[in-house]
Amino acid sequence: MDLHTEFILDEYREALPVFERMKEDVTRTLREALARNGLEVTAVEARVKTEKSLAGKLALKGAKYATLSDITDILGARIITFYTDDVDRIAAMAEKLFEIDWENSVDKRRLHQLDSFGYNSLHYICRMPGYDYRFELQLRTTLQHAWAAINHDNGYKSGVEIPREYMRRMNRLAGMLEMADDEFSRIRMEISDYRRRVQQLVQNGKLDEVLLDGDTFSSYLQAKPFERLNQRIAAINQAEIQEVPLNRYLRVLKALGCNTLEDVRQMRNKYEEDAYALARHQLGNTDLDIVSSAIGLQNICIVCILSQGGGKIGLLRLFDVLNGHNSHNEELAALTYQQASNLPFMRKE
Amino acid sequence: MTIKIDNEGGQIIVRLAGRLDTASAAEIAPDIQRLAEQADKHIVLDCTELAYISSSGLRLFLTLRKESAAKGGKLQVRNINADIRQVFMMTGFISLFEII
Repeated sequence: MDLHTEFILDEYREALPVFERMKEDVTRTLREALARNGLEVTAVEARVKTEKSLAGKLALKGAKYATLSDITDILGARIITFYTDDVDRIAAMAEKLFEIDWENSVDKRRLHQLDSFGYNSLHYICRMPGYDYRFELQLRTTLQHAWAAINHDNGYKSGVEIPREYMRRMNRLAGMLEMADDEFSRIRMEISDYRRRVQQLVQNGKLDEVLLDGDTFSSYLQAKPFERLNQRIAAINQAEIQEVPLNRYLRVLKALGCNTLEDVRQMRNKYEEDAYALARHQLGNTDLDIVSSAIGLQNICIVCILSQGGGKIGLLRLFDVLNGHNSHNEELAALTYQQASNLPFMRKE
Repeated sequence: MTIKIDNEGGQIIVRLAGRLDTASAAEIAPDIQRLAEQADKHIVLDCTELAYISSSGLRLFLTLRKESAAKGGKLQVRNINADIRQVFMMTGFISLFEII
């Protein structure tokens, strides 16, 4: 080992605690910034290059580096995103957090040749406030990361000649992964557009144009369509209303024949009074002064099932969906049926 | 009304016995508050010996459930009797708790 390499390795050993601290600070800064910006990623990773790895690098290219400061990847950080367009978003975020060494930063997404298999990622050389040493920040998608990992496992290193047959096959795979990355981003954008369109239709009251699904049901619930009924039921015992999720009722509503949000609205209007009557009959003789925000919808479903002749079996199926399959649901269904049996809507049948 | 809290096989088993009315709910509220601090764990409210639950008792269950959801824990309610099951149903909470 020559003196120059020894000198740099000595410098490395002395600076190691600084790099370890920098690693913690960089990781924490990145995670906090991602959380603040509402960006979800697959992983945030960082590592300090080992002495063995550094010695290997110096053996190959030692003459290129005068001091340890010239080596920019002693600390390497990596953010792996879900979507390709998030790479640019996170890059913009990193530009605000760190000082970027633009001269040495590389966007490898723009570099690869048509006849080479791609290694796409964005490499920023950064300086964190409070530290003199630079570090490398890699930004890539999950698929790009998988590509890099598999290539590494195959023993491919940049610059090593690969037989033509394998190059062609790797190119095809790289193209497929790139298409998959683009398609994931496109689908995410189209889902966002769909949700915006649904919200618009719901706000404009065009419920018959909106098919009932998880997204549309969530949008519909934002308008609190069962609040009036809930408040009437709560008023029976001056109860407080505890907000609870209503997503389990989606399956129930579909099973009861609701295909659009308009169907849900009509069902609510049709059975609202009887749902209130059921609640008054059940709660009126108690001192229960807390109810859930599901009470209105629950009772609408119970009345709907009984009005359509679903009987105890229909109620059992309802409780199996709401509570999970449970041997006690049959007893609960029988009790609910008995409570409802004297109410006017049951006598109509 | 008694409350007994044990650690069994990685689960916190909370055995409630008697009547969970307004007065007894106030008595065990500090125990539930301490339990809420461990709401990231798997908690089982064993109601085998619980005869009755009032709104106050329901509120304690709801507090625990909210903490459990916030902290990524798991809360189960075990062996409730028919009357208590009916209370859960009448108040619309039957779909909120995992009742085993």
